[in-house]
Amino acid sequence: MKALELKGITKQFPRVLANDHINLSIEKGEIFSIVGENGAGKSTLMKIVYGLYTPTSGEIYVFGKKVNMKSPHDAIKLKIGMVHQEFMLIPRFTVTENIVLGDEPRKGIVFDFKRAVKEIREISEKFGLKVDPLEKVANLPVGIQQRVEILKILRRGAEILIFDEPTAVLTPEETEDLFKTLRALKKDGKTILFISHKLKEVMEISDRIAVLRRGKLQGVVKKEETNERELARMMVGREVVLEIPRVKVERGPVVLSVRDLAAKDHRGILKLKGVSFDVHAGEIVAIAGVEGNGQMELVNSLIGFTRPVKGKIILNGEEMKLVTPYNVRRKGMAYIPEDRKRRGLVLPFKIRENIIMGQHTLYPFSKGGILNDKVINQFATKQVEEFDIRPRDIYISAGNLSGGNQQKVILAREMAMKHNFLLASQPTRGLDIGAMEFVYKHLIEEKKKGIAILLISLELSEVLGLADRILVMYEGEIVGETVPEKTNEEELGMMMLGIKRNERLVQ
Amino acid sequence: MMAMDIFRRIFFGHKEEYWWMKILVPITSIFVALIVGAIFIWSTGRSPVLAYKYLFGASGLVPGPYFKQHFAEMLLSSSMFIATGLAFAIAAKGGLFSIGAEGQFLVGAITAAYFGYAKPFASMPTVLHLTVIFVMVMIAGGIWGAIAGWLKAKMGIHEVITTIMLNWIALYLIEDWLVTGPMKANVETGVSGTPYVSETAKLPIILKGTRLNISILIIIVVAYLTWFLLYRTTFGFEIRAMGYTLIYNMDAPRAAGVSVDARITQTMFVSGAVAALGGAFIILGVLFQFPPVFEGGYGFDGIAVSLIGQNEPLGVFLAGILIGGLRTGATAVQLAHIPKTFPSIIEGLIVAFIALQELIRYLLMKLFVRKRNNTVSGGSDEKAVSGGVAK
Ligand SMILES: Nc1ncnc2c1ncn2[C@@H]1O[C@H](COP(=O)(O)OP(=O)(O)OP(=O)(O)O)[C@@H](O)[C@H]1O
Ligand SMILES: [Mg+2]
Repeated sequence: MKALELKGITKQFPRVLANDHINLSIEKGEIFSIVGENGAGKSTLMKIVYGLYTPTSGEIYVFGKKVNMKSPHDAIKLKIGMVHQEFMLIPRFTVTENIVLGDEPRKGIVFDFKRAVKEIREISEKFGLKVDPLEKVANLPVGIQQRVEILKILRRGAEILIFDEPTAVLTPEETEDLFKTLRALKKDGKTILFISHKLKEVMEISDRIAVLRRGKLQGVVKKEETNERELARMMVGREVVLEIPRVKVERGPVVLSVRDLAAKDHRGILKLKGVSFDVHAGEIVAIAGVEGNGQMELVNSLIGFTRPVKGKIILNGEEMKLVTPYNVRRKGMAYIPEDRKRRGLVLPFKIRENIIMGQHTLYPFSKGGILNDKVINQFATKQVEEFDIRPRDIYISAGNLSGGNQQKVILAREMAMKHNFLLASQPTRGLDIGAMEFVYKHLIEEKKKGIAILLISLELSEVLGLADRILVMYEGEIVGETVPEKTNEEELGMMMLGIKRNERLVQ
Repeated sequence: MMAMDIFRRIFFGHKEEYWWMKILVPITSIFVALIVGAIFIWSTGRSPVLAYKYLFGASGLVPGPYFKQHFAEMLLSSSMFIATGLAFAIAAKGGLFSIGAEGQFLVGAITAAYFGYAKPFASMPTVLHLTVIFVMVMIAGGIWGAIAGWLKAKMGIHEVITTIMLNWIALYLIEDWLVTGPMKANVETGVSGTPYVSETAKLPIILKGTRLNISILIIIVVAYLTWFLLYRTTFGFEIRAMGYTLIYNMDAPRAAGVSVDARITQTMFVSGAVAALGGAFIILGVLFQFPPVFEGGYGFDGIAVSLIGQNEPLGVFLAGILIGGLRTGATAVQLAHIPKTFPSIIEGLIVAFIALQELIRYLLMKLFVRKRNNTVSGGSDEKAVSGGVAK
């Protein structure tokens, strides 16, 4: 039986044809993946299925019946659920409250909390989604929060579940857990639509895979009949090999020195417990580690978002007394943030505005505090071309760009900024392979130019491919230092979990 | 189309998707409010036609008997509404919900009164005297605003709370202390309130036979400067960046190196300085002293004016003219046996409909976008993208 059928779905945005006559039919009980470059139209298509967007033309059939959805409300009634990339949970509420919110069990007119808890225990048992119904959501790691989201849609009887890049925010272990859940759901006869940029994951979990390119359906393939390489080729339209070239650059003087740096997180818990390291000109130092082991606090201390409890930051030979984003940027730091939507971009601002933010006070973008629109537009047009930002329209709002193109805007901005130190915090999060290749290329370019780079990454392949030196962080400390030639994913993995330590290299 | 493009450029200075919505929404709201107002009147058995005839006839907005007088009065009060409206708009563009214009207006008024009569200044030539007064007024009002900004930036106290408190502090400080104490007029002269300002502190009249003075010209310049500040300067760039991110706890401007804390204080300073101008206008052009009992409210009307004007300087200017006109025509509606508060009801209705703008926007989108261009679809999309970042 067909769970979902799309016939000729087209979505025209004011400037972009995001979906172009897409025909898909998805069987009940299958895990169906959709892959494609950034901006290919995956999220748009899913939002249409979930009733967030109305298609410009085309028909949707759910379990054989033609439907006309006007809002997610209609989709929920048709047993369609979606796990958003940014969760819609209320941090101060308990798991139970979050799950039943909007559809609470009642006794008379009062909210029947006990029954709600019982209901949640039942569903979480059934699908092996372990959660503590009484815990506050704010206290949960991302992976568990995602579980809460899944439970929420399951409780509303979802038969078709949409996951838009669910693994982008997960650690490898959490991803494994999610896959277990997906398999359990499949066994129960649920239909799953899955989006990811990580082709390895797609090959692991899917039954069939649809490839989108620039809004058009390139084809649907069975998992058994394809491989990562072919998928990548279908997506990009050319051969892509994500091999990072080894570039040797003469190491220059120390650009950044960190000494005994310690910092607390926003809840006041000491997360960074005295780390020391140097980054030299023309060198990429990677910090590897499982998310939540102090990387965020390190980044925040370096960029001036948190005041360290102790330690020194020395940038270009000068000890930073008062670390503020303004000061460090004036001293030559560029920053690619991990959360591009909140930290990287002002979403309603146009590309032309985002691309100069931070440099807008400098000549020639402004003089005497007055902006020079002509120069700004010329610069933006040039960068949009050079960084292949699609669509080529400097007046489009950053919020209307796909994730990959948003990242390119940030890259285009930061690379243009005067700097000799680059803090790249998870620079490829949520990017397609084409865009990843692009980011890697630019990082290596930077290195060739003699810029010191501190790369913070959760992807071991990225760390091993790019870094000249690797520092492993575990529970707020550096537990090991190595070079890519002398190590492998297994060893790094052990260090990241705190099972193995090794000596720091002598500088 | 050409004319439209020019109009759009004046209005926004840059390309904006569905920019015409910003014009259509308030205009629709005004018309609907007028219609609802008419139904009110009609339901009490009186004639809406007559009411509007008197209202607009005396508003100074449309030609009629005594037009010159009405027109002058309208512009006179409009300039004050525009001042407080711009003050609200500046803060709102920066994501700050300032309701402090009322207090800043009072601070501006008392400052204008003091420097208007105080001895060493009162003997200066007009141009110099007025310059001194306006500089002092803007500094005083600016500081009154900046206090709220500073408290938000440094202590994290919400600006709504601090601006309300500062409004009360200004009121008590001025009415219960300054006006009845240190700044009290000489009792023998029989004047209550502060002394009258000197002749050199009175705003020059620009229309013979009326009270219309240069305040309207000043505020036109200020409105233009506000637009210039917001859209043409780096400071305005940072204000707008803040406005899109502050309320959602997003950090992009800060991460890019904008000193957000300082900007909050500075934005509130500018907002307070502009609101205080309104206070100077009323003292130097209408009352000529700070009276013992001051009929305020301009600060709060400024919020309405700014909302109707969609927080855009030109919009605020036009909305200020409209509200000024309605207020000027207020007494005339009594001829139609309708209380003179009726125009305020209309104002309230307009604001209510503006508040429903998401809804109106949605309906307008449905009506126009679908018809005009089949390939672009309705409001729900834009909601999904921009709903979270409405202003
Ligand atoms: N609300 C919108 N208004 C205008 N254009 C939009 C809107 N939403 C998406 N787009 C455009 O539609 C295209 C498809 O975007 P979509 O978000 O579906 O891509 P995606 O495949 O999910 O990409 P990513 O992998 O980066 O998330 C992009 O070019 C994007 O700029
Ligand atoms: Mg997407």
